[in-house]
Amino acid sequence: MIRTEEMLLNVGPQHPSTHGVFRIVLKIDGEIIKEATPVIGYLHRGTEKIAENLQYTQIIPYTDRMDYLAAMTNNYILCHAVETMMAMEIPERADYLRVIVMELGRIASHLVWFGTYLLDIGAMSPFLYAFREREAIINLLTEISGGRLTFNYMRVGGVKWDAPDGWIDKVREFVPYMREQLAGYHDLVTGNEIFMARIKGVGAYSKEDALSYSLSGANLRCTGVKWDLRKNEPYSIYDRFNFDVPVFHEGDALARYNCRMAEIEEALKIVEQAVEQFPEEGPFMAKVPRIIKPPAGETYVRIESPRGEIGCYIASKGKKEPYRLKFRRPSFYNLQILPKLLEGENISNLIAILGGIDIVLGEVDG
Amino acid sequence: MRGLAKGLAYTLKNMTKEKVTYNYPDQPLEMPDRFRGIQKFYPEKCIVCNQCVAICPTDCISLTGKAHPDPNKKGKIIETYDINFEICILCDLCTEVCPTEAIIMTNNFELAEFSRDELFKNLEWLDENDTNLRKENKV
Repeated sequence: MIRTEEMLLNVGPQHPSTHGVFRIVLKIDGEIIKEATPVIGYLHRGTEKIAENLQYTQIIPYTDRMDYLAAMTNNYILCHAVETMMAMEIPERADYLRVIVMELGRIASHLVWFGTYLLDIGAMSPFLYAFREREAIINLLTEISGGRLTFNYMRVGGVKWDAPDGWIDKVREFVPYMREQLAGYHDLVTGNEIFMARIKGVGAYSKEDALSYSLSGANLRCTGVKWDLRKNEPYSIYDRFNFDVPVFHEGDALARYNCRMAEIEEALKIVEQAVEQFPEEGPFMAKVPRIIKPPAGETYVRIESPRGEIGCYIASKGKKEPYRLKFRRPSFYNLQILPKLLEGENISNLIAILGGIDIVLGEVDG
Repeated sequence: MRGLAKGLAYTLKNMTKEKVTYNYPDQPLEMPDRFRGIQKFYPEKCIVCNQCVAICPTDCISLTGKAHPDPNKKGKIIETYDINFEICILCDLCTEVCPTEAIIMTNNFELAEFSRDELFKNLEWLDENDTNLRKENKV
């Protein structure tokens, strides 16, 4: 007589496939997951609490460290919130620079996801190709902002630096290069039978589930919900660009893959148009008082980050520090569906499902 | 099988492409001018206005000043200036607020030490850190 019993298996917190310090406690019966309990907080730094004692400009470097794969979007959400409170007009040139760097950041972020996801499920070479192209983007962003990951580039009222000489041309040249590489990725990965067999139908959920867990970004759009804040609630100058919102209907890991790959293409379209429309000259910083003091009151703004809907709530008492600051961090919300997805799955699907959600632990833990 | 063959063709095509890696640290890594590296400090330019200390988001800068040795001159001169690189995040805000460009960024980024205490850099060390200075510091 064979005796079987349930076992507790601890995955992480130091595990390469969890993309950071993230732990899952699995109750397994043989190879089948009975229950999964995510444990988060290993990277919690209390950004929101720290921010209460800082001036608004001082908070910007802290936002870099939340979603460190797309720090430009995080810079933007804070500046956008403060600008909304102060009803500030942003110079056109600054808006264009912001959109270009944010979309480049989106491409870089999706490339990291693409590379590491393939690495997680056992393919080494796409990772190297993806990081080659990401390096090109990071070089562009270093040239304009001075940082490789923690850009600290945006300021309330504009951006810190103007584009250096020839930078816009470099971005212009990058777009066709990236398109060519993207076609290569499709040759390498998208048509690959092993890859398709591995992730098709894995970690599927319905539109209702996605909405009730308040998922956003590609995790929502893979179920057929066409919701992208750049289109639905245009902020900055996104209403000036012609782009599509890629939507897939299967809700599985393959749909999320297709969605993100299509988003890279759309981001390239936006960069291309922004570079074409880029104003020849003009200020890149609005007239901002030396000490930034938004009027007393509250505001909530939200934008589309590579991972979903990122929001920023500020309660101000008219002082130079916020009274309360809260970020809606999309990775944290997207992660909540994990226990539901893992229940009843084979343990070999664990990494394929977790990787498909695309979390950044700096953002989950805040 | 077609997908696998296509993938293999892409791999083979990339084999003839130029190498993207470089031989760091034997070959030094050049950074663009705006790169935010370890600060250089000019004691003679500092007017002890304390703005860098006030703006630093991690409170890693500490300074003291003393009265000008020439009694006819007003103002203060710098006495000690320390940056704790255990917590400095090289965010560039200190150079942004400095009215006299007494503190500027360099393109140096190698800061590995054997003990944590050595990451506490004083005025002399910051003054001697004068290679690869950033050319454009004020917008």
